[in-house]
Amino acid sequence: MQNADLPFLSATALGELIRKKEISPVEATAAFLERIDAIDGTLHSYITVCREEAMRAAHEAEQAIAHGEWRGPLHGVPYAVKDQFWTKGIRTTGGSRLLADFIPSDDATVVTRLQAAGAILLGKLNMSEFATGNSVHHPFGTPRNPWDLERNAGTSSSGSGAATAACLCATSLGEDTGGSIRNPANNCGLVGLRPTWGLVSRYGMMAACWSMDIGGPISRTVEDCAVTLQAIAGYDPHDSYTENRPVPNFRAALIQDVRGIRIGVVKEAVDAEFVHPQVKAAVAQAVADLQWQGASVDEISIPLMTSAAAVTRAILAVESASLHHNWLKTRLHEYDHNVQIDFLTGAIMPAQLYYKAQKLRALTRQQVFAALQQVDVLALPSSSEPAPLLPQGTGLKSKDEARQRMSGRRSLTGVFNLANVPALSVPCGFVSVGGKELPIGLQLAGRLFDDGLLLRVAHAYEQATSWHTRRPPIS
Amino acid sequence: MADLAKADIKSLGRAVGLELEEPLLTEVTYNLNALRELLDEVNPSALDQVEPLPIIPPHERSPHAER
Repeated sequence: MQNADLPFLSATALGELIRKKEISPVEATAAFLERIDAIDGTLHSYITVCREEAMRAAHEAEQAIAHGEWRGPLHGVPYAVKDQFWTKGIRTTGGSRLLADFIPSDDATVVTRLQAAGAILLGKLNMSEFATGNSVHHPFGTPRNPWDLERNAGTSSSGSGAATAACLCATSLGEDTGGSIRNPANNCGLVGLRPTWGLVSRYGMMAACWSMDIGGPISRTVEDCAVTLQAIAGYDPHDSYTENRPVPNFRAALIQDVRGIRIGVVKEAVDAEFVHPQVKAAVAQAVADLQWQGASVDEISIPLMTSAAAVTRAILAVESASLHHNWLKTRLHEYDHNVQIDFLTGAIMPAQLYYKAQKLRALTRQQVFAALQQVDVLALPSSSEPAPLLPQGTGLKSKDEARQRMSGRRSLTGVFNLANVPALSVPCGFVSVGGKELPIGLQLAGRLFDDGLLLRVAHAYEQATSWHTRRPPIS
Repeated sequence: MADLAKADIKSLGRAVGLELEEPLLTEVTYNLNALRELLDEVNPSALDQVEPLPIIPPHERSPHAER
């Protein structure tokens, strides 16, 4: 195998070659850095590439493995993280010019854990400003979708989607407040898992909305996703909301057997007019494939799903604005225009409106839990459509346009952020748009701390299909 | 529910120490009125029977909710 081919391997396949000493972490890291140099001038998936730090870590990994100190499946494997996660001594911008020179004095816990697992940090990935999802102007370059450079890679973990799909890292981390892991996974043909809230530490992760934020893996295969989650999951005394419970073996859960698992297809998502017909058809086929493998399938209702986008937006707007209140007074015009609108809206929102949104959240959560009493896993589209074109302008022209932004596809993901349950997107097909083949995703959601079951079902589906083997037309 | 006027939005801004000027004022007015409208349309019957808890209260963490 040529070194230039190494980035195309899955993270677990690469890790296995490194374990067997057939490939050196130095060769692997150099191959990814060369590919970043060759392609990322177009994609803008990275904000910062940690060239020297990565090569130093790769040499250390090479030495450790040579001395029999293999740490696990990610030892020597190059990864990258959304620029929302602190990295000690390395610039961390949150995708904002306001933090263009911010250098944290500590690592996020997830970064510490990936380093402990021996993974090699390649760099910091581009994102929507402060993970809000609506920003248009990216001060460090507009991240582009490798399947079609004129299209959105997904918000807000745009760089995580673009870099992972283009094989500019072996696996990556994103962060998901309202769908920011699953949307890039959908748009870029990847596997993205928003873990159960409380499974992964938020320490060192810039906050957008404290009660919905969580970091998670964006990977090219379900197995890579499982291995990445394994490295970052578990109790952290720095985050008092992480649960002190044993972390299951997520990779061992991938047993390719879904017999007896009850899948509920979410009626409101299937009926939604805003979901593209080809997306509906692909999700229906995916569910039928799982049924053929032995799962049972029923229709299930979550009536408040349709309002989840507005509820999520109300809570996110208020909580984000409270985090940025001082800068809204002194540095307002340094934010992206759309972020200014969102944060100002949150800053002035009447308390009763926020209070109602929180009550609707509690009711939505009850409906999700009730649905998960009847079935083990919920199935629905990850998004209403394949990747849309990159936005051409900023600003709101009318109230109706504002309504559209706060409804539709964001309800499909936001409903599970409101409930704090795990949710995953796995590729389930392609839609042809303007002569380009664009990926779409099947979303699976499950009970609290049942992340392993989602990975198991997704793996069984993935292994019976070939969607995950396709690569974007970028060389 | 009647839309808030720009003057109302300006007053809400002043209440939290923010001076809203054009063109942001118009867009924030669209945005807040849209959100008010969307949330006003959702009135499930059980709304008065729940507490506005952002994270999961212990009594909801039944074996069915959790694995």
